[in-house]
Amino acid sequence: MEDKEILDKFSNPESQNMAFNQLVRKYQQKIYWHIRKMVIDHDDSDDLTQEVFVKVWKNLGNFRQDAQLYTWIYRIATNECLTFLTNKKKRFFLPIHDVAAELAEKIDTSPDISGDEIQLKLQKALLRLPDKQRLVFNMKYYDEMKYEEISEILGTSVGALKTSYHLAVKKIEEFIKRD
Amino acid sequence: MNKMKEDFKLDSLPKHNVYQVPEHYFDRLPTRVMERTTAAEKHIPAWQQGLWVSLRAVAAPLVLLLVFVGVFFFNVQDQDKDEFAAVQPLAEQEILDYLHYNEDLETADFAELSYLTKQEFTSDFLNISSTAAEAELEYYHIRNIEE
Repeated sequence: MEDKEILDKFSNPESQNMAFNQLVRKYQQKIYWHIRKMVIDHDDSDDLTQEVFVKVWKNLGNFRQDAQLYTWIYRIATNECLTFLTNKKKRFFLPIHDVAAELAEKIDTSPDISGDEIQLKLQKALLRLPDKQRLVFNMKYYDEMKYEEISEILGTSVGALKTSYHLAVKKIEEFIKRD
Repeated sequence: MNKMKEDFKLDSLPKHNVYQVPEHYFDRLPTRVMERTTAAEKHIPAWQQGLWVSLRAVAAPLVLLLVFVGVFFFNVQDQDKDEFAAVQPLAEQEILDYLHYNEDLETADFAELSYLTKQEFTSDFLNISSTAAEAELEYYHIRNIEE
């Protein structure tokens, strides 16, 4: 179902639930994986994904159709991730690298994370990046989004995003070579 | 592996998702989200819930207190009306005449008047001047009664 059709059906109280169910089915995987790559833990990702869709439900009536629906949902998911990570750092009074270390440990120990050594190393290298740069990298590298789309989601200029991505690639390559 | 590390270029690495989800996770997620949206519609904000719980705890004692206060003030006002309503419309002379000629008055009534004089309530109580009240007391030889 196209986004426009979903939105039209959502505006009708009789077909609202059905339309929203379609929306969740359409975007759940993209949103879940976007969140999972940021927070690593499945349970946290599950909570945040549900939270994102509850927020989408509450605010979809006010959604301006001049923006794309999926970039709007991505923006909500991105904000949820950043808020979650910020709160995590505040809660434990830990500096950034300690949260990164905690998440890196999950990569080593969690039963629902598996891959060869270089793949796991790549994930650990990503955790060394600042959260926003990690978001840029994930959206460009894994989700293969255009810079313009990422710019719309993060509210950052395309030029700044290009620089951020190339710096991220450099840092990751350096980390893997060195470690 | 070391050689691979030294020559490592991200472009050369195949993209691979290392994370897994429980079986049928994405089949169930829409239902779980829909359950939450239904709950969110019925949800009363936390501050309102807290307010309601607090109000319920104090509602019964508050109602009882209001009833007691209401009954108390109603009675006090009613009592005031009873005491003064009969005296207020009477002219001073009518009261004096009553005191002069009413043979049913007993010494105890004047003893009470004497007490009121000391309390300086006379004028308020009888609605006559204190001088007139004292004159009446002398007339009935109140001093003798006290002795």
